[in-house]
Amino acid sequence: MKKLVIIPAFNESESIVHTVRNIQKCAPDYDLIVINDCSKDNTLQICRDNDIPVLDLPINLGIGGAVQTGYLYAMMNHYDIAVQMDGDGQHDALYLKDMEETLVRENADMVIGSRFIEKKGFQSSGVRRIGIGIFRFLTGTLFGKAVTDATSGMRMSNRRTIELFVKDYPRDYPEPETVCRLLRKHYKVVEVPVIMKERETGTSSISMRKSVYYMVKVTLAILIERLR
Amino acid sequence: MSLRLQIILLVLLAIGMMVVINMVRKRVLELKYVLAWMFADIVLVLLVLFPGLIKAITRLLGIQSSMNMIFFLGFLLSLVIIFTLTVALSKVTSSVRRMSQTIALLEKELKEEIEITEEGC
Repeated sequence: MKKLVIIPAFNESESIVHTVRNIQKCAPDYDLIVINDCSKDNTLQICRDNDIPVLDLPINLGIGGAVQTGYLYAMMNHYDIAVQMDGDGQHDALYLKDMEETLVRENADMVIGSRFIEKKGFQSSGVRRIGIGIFRFLTGTLFGKAVTDATSGMRMSNRRTIELFVKDYPRDYPEPETVCRLLRKHYKVVEVPVIMKERETGTSSISMRKSVYYMVKVTLAILIERLR
Repeated sequence: MSLRLQIILLVLLAIGMMVVINMVRKRVLELKYVLAWMFADIVLVLLVLFPGLIKAITRLLGIQSSMNMIFFLGFLLSLVIIFTLTVALSKVTSSVRRMSQTIALLEKELKEEIEITEEGC
């Protein structure tokens, strides 16, 4: 079985090597690919210097476009499993084994690493938890399955889901919307508990100022997804 | 504003909103770019429901008649949306340029590589 880790990277020069080494150590059976989304720092150079496989996007596509590039790469190269992880060291490759076992055992289409099943580790800030709670409510009422951590960027997909993501993937803030799409199409989505760390370096793509916009846009996107 | 006009306007605005949402649903439009239109639609609904608002804003801005104020605001909103489109178009232009350049560079690299392999044989 061919397995791939997709790491979207935008200005992650300080943490990318550490993140990649962690994956190579904890999950040596996975290939990995970094998608450099026009970083303004030397993320690309650092990847090349350290022999980390990297796809260098010529124009900035945003997180959605970058991740989708990874799924396209996975499909073209016939990977059976693709898992996306953030390049900032938040996600621990230790959990890949558990996620993979769950994917196979439950015959799931996607396994999400959730911070809120065992409620351990970094739980995100108060405001964000409210947002995540709203998504849990929306997924529960609209799609019949309450997803505890719809915003989680640590997600493992099988072949079927990879192909769906290659066809269509939202440009920005894609996580909750794509989870809803899978649920609408009756794909099987399973969550497993993971512990996330606070990001080591860099800043989140969602600042406080953008939080309101984020909630409005993603909520609307989810409602429209229900109408599809 | 008569009740009849209010109802007609509300129906028109509702149809407008449904058309926009339906186009997003069918992936013709991207949600990001229609948020402004949805916002405008909601503002107009509020103005139709509470005509007093128009008078209040007219007085606030020191404009003589409500009609002028409506034309002014409509004009302003159109300008904002047109400007947003100009920004979006500029971004697309520079992306296309960078993409063409990248393809040109890759093509040259690829051709050189093919030539090297052919010489090797």
